[in-house]
Amino acid sequence: MSYGGHDDHHHDHQHSHWGPHDWNHGHGGAPHNSWAPIMIAFGSSLFLLGFTKVFTQTWDDEADLWTYAIHSSQIGLLIAGLAIFSAGLTVFWRQDWSHSGSFEPKAIGTPFRTIDIRKVAIWMFLMSEMMVFSSLFSTYIRYRTGFDNCVTLFESSIEPGSTVVLEAGQQCWLPASYFIAEGGYHQEHANAALGFMPDTLIPGAINTFALIVSSYTIVLALKTAKDASLSDAERNSKVGKYLSITLFLATLFLTFKLIEWFVGFEIGHEGDWYYFHAPSLSADHFTIHESAYTYCHSWDHHGGADHHGACEPGQDAIFDIRMAASTFYVTTGTHGVHVFGGMVALAYMVLKAFRGGYTPQNAVSIEYFGLYWHFVDLVWVLVFPAFYLY
Amino acid sequence: MIGSMKKSRTLGILAILLLAVAIAPSAQSYPTGISGAQDGGCSCHGQTPSSDVVASLEGLPSELEAGATYTLNITFTGGPSYDDNANPAALGGFHLWVSDGVLAPVDEMVQLNSDGSVTHTGTDKADTGMGNDQRNWTVEWTAPMDGGAKFVLHVNSVNGDQTNGGDMWGKLTADVGPQPAEQASGLTVLASAILLMVVITLSCVLWVFYRQDPGAFAWERFWPWFSDYITSTDHKKVGTLYMVNGLFFLGVGGLFALIFRVQLAVPGNDFLTQDEYNQFFTMHGTTMIFLAAMPMIAGFANWIVPLQIGAQDLALPRLNALAFWLNPAAALLLFSGIFSGQGADTGWTGYAPYIVSHTAHSGATLWVAGQILIVASSTISGINFMTTFCTMRAPGMGWMHMPLFSWSMLIATLMLFISIPAFGIGLIQVLLDRTIGTVFYEVAAGGDPLLWSHLFWYFGHPEVYVVVLPAFGVISEVLSTSARRTIFGYKSMVFALAGIGIVGFIVYGHHMFTSGMSPVLRFVTMLTTMLVAVPTGIKIFNWLQTMHGGSLVYRTHTLWALGFLVTFTLGGISGMYFPAVAMDLHLHETYFVVAHFHYVFVGGIVFGLYSGIYYWFPKATGRMMNEKIGILHFMTGFISYNLIFWPMHRLGIQGMPRRQHTYFITTDEYFALPPETADWNMLITVAAFMFFASNLILVYNMISSGLRGQKAPSDPWGGWSMEWLVSSPPPTPSHDPSNLPVLEFAEIHGDSEPGFFGRMIQWMMIPEDDDGGEEE
Repeated sequence: MSYGGHDDHHHDHQHSHWGPHDWNHGHGGAPHNSWAPIMIAFGSSLFLLGFTKVFTQTWDDEADLWTYAIHSSQIGLLIAGLAIFSAGLTVFWRQDWSHSGSFEPKAIGTPFRTIDIRKVAIWMFLMSEMMVFSSLFSTYIRYRTGFDNCVTLFESSIEPGSTVVLEAGQQCWLPASYFIAEGGYHQEHANAALGFMPDTLIPGAINTFALIVSSYTIVLALKTAKDASLSDAERNSKVGKYLSITLFLATLFLTFKLIEWFVGFEIGHEGDWYYFHAPSLSADHFTIHESAYTYCHSWDHHGGADHHGACEPGQDAIFDIRMAASTFYVTTGTHGVHVFGGMVALAYMVLKAFRGGYTPQNAVSIEYFGLYWHFVDLVWVLVFPAFYLY
Repeated sequence: MIGSMKKSRTLGILAILLLAVAIAPSAQSYPTGISGAQDGGCSCHGQTPSSDVVASLEGLPSELEAGATYTLNITFTGGPSYDDNANPAALGGFHLWVSDGVLAPVDEMVQLNSDGSVTHTGTDKADTGMGNDQRNWTVEWTAPMDGGAKFVLHVNSVNGDQTNGGDMWGKLTADVGPQPAEQASGLTVLASAILLMVVITLSCVLWVFYRQDPGAFAWERFWPWFSDYITSTDHKKVGTLYMVNGLFFLGVGGLFALIFRVQLAVPGNDFLTQDEYNQFFTMHGTTMIFLAAMPMIAGFANWIVPLQIGAQDLALPRLNALAFWLNPAAALLLFSGIFSGQGADTGWTGYAPYIVSHTAHSGATLWVAGQILIVASSTISGINFMTTFCTMRAPGMGWMHMPLFSWSMLIATLMLFISIPAFGIGLIQVLLDRTIGTVFYEVAAGGDPLLWSHLFWYFGHPEVYVVVLPAFGVISEVLSTSARRTIFGYKSMVFALAGIGIVGFIVYGHHMFTSGMSPVLRFVTMLTTMLVAVPTGIKIFNWLQTMHGGSLVYRTHTLWALGFLVTFTLGGISGMYFPAVAMDLHLHETYFVVAHFHYVFVGGIVFGLYSGIYYWFPKATGRMMNEKIGILHFMTGFISYNLIFWPMHRLGIQGMPRRQHTYFITTDEYFALPPETADWNMLITVAAFMFFASNLILVYNMISSGLRGQKAPSDPWGGWSMEWLVSSPPPTPSHDPSNLPVLEFAEIHGDSEPGFFGRMIQWMMIPEDDDGGEEE
C-alpha cells in the first residue's frame, strides 16, 4: 500500500515544519513541509467570521431601515483569526529567511527561458490584480455615469429667484473631489498669513508624490543591493536605509489617508482662523450612511465667513450621497489595503536587509517586491484623478 | 482485459439502455406554455391562494373507523362570486386530494380524476347541471384499513365573466385519524448524515494508515504520518488532499440533493419547509461547484500536470498548499450558516438585491465570506499553474507538444484567474453591504442589481468552461490511449480549447436574457453563444475520429469516456436551446435548465473526472483498480444518472419551475402540471438514490483497490505522456530535477529557440547584465 510512505524524504537531517527552509530541498529535491498554509487559511477563515460578528447590522422593522453597530464585544474571534494568520505568515517568512540566491529556479523553454520562475509568478499575480481593480473601476464607471452629479442636478432644478424643487433624499453623485479638490467651502477663513487658503488638495498631492518617490527608492534599494563593488557592511546599511525610506513613505501615505478620512487637517489657528484647514471626510458628512446630506449651494459660489451654520433657504437640498461615498471608500480602501500589505512585506525586508540578508545574488527579491509596489503606485495614479480630481 | 464477448455484451446493453432512455419520455410541449398561470391559456384562478376565500370540509369523524365510508361536504365562502348578485348561481369549483383511502363522487356535480382526487364537473356555465355552478359539493370517502389520512382542498371562487381576471382561490388542509410519527426535519437528517460522513472519512484515514503496515502499527506513528500530509507541499500529497476534499463534498452535495429530492418526490410535500428548501438548493449548488468539482479538478491538476510536463513539482509548492487549505477553511464559513438554520438562501448565484436585503438569511453573510476565500484559493492556484506551465515544461517540450490534459488545464486556469477577481470584488461589495452598510446593491440608494449579475456572470460563465475543459483534457488522454493511437487533430484540439477560452468570455449575457438587458446585446450574445458550439463540435468530432482510426480497449475509464461523449453531447444539444432568446424566455427557470446543466456538469465533468480516476489511479497509488467493480459502478451510475436528468427535460417543457419547494399536479389551478409529473418526480427521486449509492461503489473500489489491488506497472495502459515514465507511485521529487526527461522531436532545435513573442518577452524581462541563467 502506498498512500505516501513514512519516509518519502531521504534527508540526512531532521527538518522542521516550522522552518527555516532548506533551499534546494536538501539532496533529493523534495519540497519541504510547512505549517504556514494551514495556519494562514484557517486564520483568514476565523478573521472573516469575526469580521461578520463585529460588523453585524440589524434590520429595524418599525423604521424600515438597517441599524448599523459595531459589536466590539465580539472582537475576540477577529483578533484570534488575525493572530493565527500572522503566525502563519511568520512561519512562511521564517522559512524564506535563509534564501540566499543560491537556489533560484529558472524557467525552461519558450517563451520565458532563463527567466526566474518567481518573476513569471509575480507577473501572473499582477495580471489577476489588474482584474481586481478593473472590476472596481467598472463599478465606478457604472455608477458615476448612471447618477446625476448633485451640483448639476441642483443647478438644473432651480429657476433664478425661485425656491428649489427637489425631493428630499434624492440620489445623486457628490464626488469626493467636491470635498477634497474643489475644497471651496472648506475655505471659511483665509489663511491668516497668506491672505487666502491653500488648496485642500495638498495632502492628496503629497500622498501621490510619496508613492511615486517610494517607487523610486525601491529601485535604488535594488540597484544598491546588486552593486558588487560595495562592501557588505556598506551595502547592508544602504539597502536597509532605502527600504526604510520606502516603508516610511508608505506609512506616510496611509497615515495621510486615515487623517483625510477620519481626523482632518487643521494646522495652527488664531481664533477661528486656520493656517490650513481641510476637515475630514467624515466630519464633512461624506460617509456611506449619509442618506440625507444637507447640500448648501451657496458655499460653492460665495465661499466666505458668513456660511457657518444653516444654509440660506432655497440654496440647499437634501441628497442621498451614499453611493458616491461607498464607491470612494471601497476603491481607495482596496488600494489602501494593498499599500498595507506592501508595508507588512517591507517591514520584513527592512529587517532582513539590516541583518545582511540581501546580496547581489538574491537582490532580485527586492525587484519582485518592487514590481508589486510599482503596480500599487500605478493604480493610485488611476485612482487619484478618478476620485480626487474629477 | 475484457474478452470480446463481454465487450459486445456491454455495448449492446448500453445501446438498449440509451434507446430506452431516449424514447421513454417523448418530450412534447404543452399548448399552455410555461407557467401558464401568468401567460393565460388555462383556467387558473390567480397565482396565489387568497385569504378571502375560506374553504370548509365537513363530515370528517373525530374517531376514524377503518374501512368505513363517510360523506364529506365541501363548501366555501368569500371571493368574487359571493358578492356578485348578477350571478345568482354562485360560481366556483374545487379540487380535493387525499393521501389514503378512496374518494368517490356522489352525483354528477363531482368527477373522479385519474390520480384519485376529485374535482367539480363542467367547464362553463352553459353545461347544465354541472358542478361549477355550485358553492357546495358532496363526495364520499372510504377510510383506509389502517392509519389516518391527510386532505388537501382547493376551492376557487370565480367572478362569472368567463375570464380568469379577478378570480380567487383558497386552500384547506385537514388531518384525520392517527398520523404517522413526527418526521425528522430535513436539517436533522442532513446534520446527522454529514456527521456520519466525517466519522467515516476519519475512520477511512485511520484504516488507510493502519493497513499500510499492520505489523508495525503504533499510535505514536500516526501523528507524524498525519501531520506530514496536512503540512505537505508536495504536489502529489496536496493532490490527494484535494481529491479527498472533493469527494467528501461531492458526497455532501449529494446529500443535499437527496434530501430535497425526497421533498420533491410527491406533490405538495412538506418534508422540507420552503425556507429549508431554499437553503438546501443554495448549498447544493455551492458545494457541488466550489467544494466538489473545482477541488477535484485541482486534485487532478496537482497530481498529473507536473508529471505530465516533466517537472519536479509545481512552481510554487507552498502557495499550492495554501490554495488547498483555503478550501476547507471556506467550507467552514459556507456551512456554519446552515447548521444554525440560517444558511444562505440566495441560490448559488446570490442575486442582488435579495442577497443584500434583510429578508435574506444572516448565513448569507458567512456564505459570501466563504466564497471570498474560495476566490483567493482559485487565484493563488491559478497563478501557480500558469507559472508552472510557462516555465517548467521539460526540455524540448514546446507549447504544441504539451499533452492535451495539460493544455486544457492551462486554458482553464487562465480563464479562471482572469475572471474570478470580478466575482471576488462583487463578493467584497456584497459583504460590505451586509456588514458595514455600503450601498452597492441597495436599490433605495440607487444600487444596480444588474451590476452584480454582470460581475457574477463575467466570472460565472467562464467558470463553466473552467470546470468542463479539464474533463475534455481527461477524455482526450483516455480516448487516445484507449484507442491506441495519437489523438486525431491535435492542433485543432488545442485551437478549439483556446477558442472556447476566448469566446467563453463574451457569452455570459445569455444568463441575463430575462433581466432586461439591451436587445442589441441579447442578439450579440445569442450569436457568440452559438459560436461556442463550433470549437466544442470540433472536439467531439476529433474524439470520434480518434476512436474511428484506433482500436478501442474497453477498460472502465474508456467506458466512462464513452458515457461522457453521449451525455455531454446531449447536454450540449439542450444547451443550444438557450442562446435562442425566444426559446430561452420560454424555458427560463424551468427544469429544462436543470436538466441541461446537470447533463453538462455531471455527464460532462463528473463522468470525465471518474474516467480520470480510473485512468490515473494506478499511477497515483501503484495499485490497479478492480475492473469488475468499476464496470458495476459505470453501469449503475450511467443508468441512474440518465434516469434522474432525462425526465427533467420533459418536466421543464411541461412548465415545472426550478427553485420551488413544491408543486401541485392539477389541471386547473396554480401551475397547471399534469398528474404524470408526480410519477416522473418519484422516478427521479428513486434514481437519485441509486446514483448516490453507485458512487459509494467507487469509494469502496478506491479504498479496497488502493489497499489490496494488483501492483501496477509504471505504464499499465500503454500511455506515452511523461507521467507514465516514472514509477507507480511516482517518487518525490516527481522527476529528478538534475536529470529531467527530455522530449526529443525532429524539430527540437526549432522549438527550443524562442519565437518572435519569446524574444520580445526576453527583451522586456531579462536585464542586459544577466549572464544567461547560469547557477551562481
